[in-house]
Amino acid sequence: MNIELGGPGQGCSAMRLRRFAAGELPAAESARVREHLQGCARCQATMDELRAEQNALRAAVPFDGFAAGVAEKLARVPARRTWSRLVPLAAAAGIVLAAGLSLRRADDGGFRSKGAASAQLFVKDARGVHALAPGEAVAQGAQLLVSLTPAGSSTVEVTLVEPQETTVLYRGPARAGPLPQAFEWTGTGSARVVVRFGGGGSTEIELYR
Amino acid sequence: MALLRIIEGGRARADDPGPRAPVRTDAGLLAELYEKYAPAVYARCRYLLCDDEAAKDALQETFAKALRALAEFRAAASPTTWILRIATNHCLNELRARKAAWREQLQALGRERRSETEPPDRRELVRVLLSAAPAEAQEVAVLYYVDELTQAEIGQELGRSLPTVRKRLREFLACAREALAQALPGIALPEGDEP
Repeated sequence: MNIELGGPGQGCSAMRLRRFAAGELPAAESARVREHLQGCARCQATMDELRAEQNALRAAVPFDGFAAGVAEKLARVPARRTWSRLVPLAAAAGIVLAAGLSLRRADDGGFRSKGAASAQLFVKDARGVHALAPGEAVAQGAQLLVSLTPAGSSTVEVTLVEPQETTVLYRGPARAGPLPQAFEWTGTGSARVVVRFGGGGSTEIELYR
Repeated sequence: MALLRIIEGGRARADDPGPRAPVRTDAGLLAELYEKYAPAVYARCRYLLCDDEAAKDALQETFAKALRALAEFRAAASPTTWILRIATNHCLNELRARKAAWREQLQALGRERRSETEPPDRRELVRVLLSAAPAEAQEVAVLYYVDELTQAEIGQELGRSLPTVRKRLREFLACAREALAQALPGIALPEGDEP
């Protein structure tokens, strides 16, 4: 038995009908579609399906739930790739750094900053929370948090640079204070966290284990 | 009125630096977009993912992407086509991550028929056959067989030449024929029906 998979027909196109319904077509084309629709059973059936789609959406995803879901997705920064040796921890995992921590410009030792914008790495381990000191080894299981001082920069990219690979940890708006997500570094040897601000500043933080 | 934080000025690609200037806007914009585009997007996600919960998630993800790239969305020649492509690509990525088992799904389509002489549902068949095709051919096949764009329109939409679009459709058909021969031997696509 042969079966046709379909495709556009003579004057028939589901997308054109969608655009017609959304008011996206120029007036002349819109008039042509309206006229075609009157005599075309296939397109009339497609229009019935479009109307059914509206009812299906309202029944399954009412607006309030939809808006809440979209807002929740917007609050997250899309991950660019799978994490390798840096494991993200839930933001609610117990690191509360946003309040009460005063940031200092990190421009000594392993912390190299250019421009006014800078970043600092905080560590939470068995001893509590402290700023990572230059040359300090990162303990196994320690939770790391990058905290930003954007100084006018609106965007930032935070990257983990390891000998074999580079992982983007965060890309998005630069807001003062810690990134929304904490990390655990599971690699060994050394690596660098590179923080580049859209406005030109950058900070590199060395990790050792 | 509830406030929703909207990000303007970004682009929709996943490797984009993303939002630049966070602004606040009221839910009126989202309500407008919901009325105008969400029915089609939800239908597309349900069609491709065959799972209401996954479709709901994909719907919200699609609109979050659209809002992050609001300027581009608004400026598109056809915002409907633009947002449906975002949804289609999101779902195709999901399907690839799931490693959809097209062989079993084709056999199930064959079993669901009331009789041997009844053809399987055309759209369901296209959906299952997508999983048997290479990634580059999948979106072109959706634009042709589901959205019913002409090859010229697809080329324009994707910024590809007509021969490239034709090549992708031929790839899809070759994979589709092979998949049918393996899993549903009683069903074939007409020969000489190259788009």
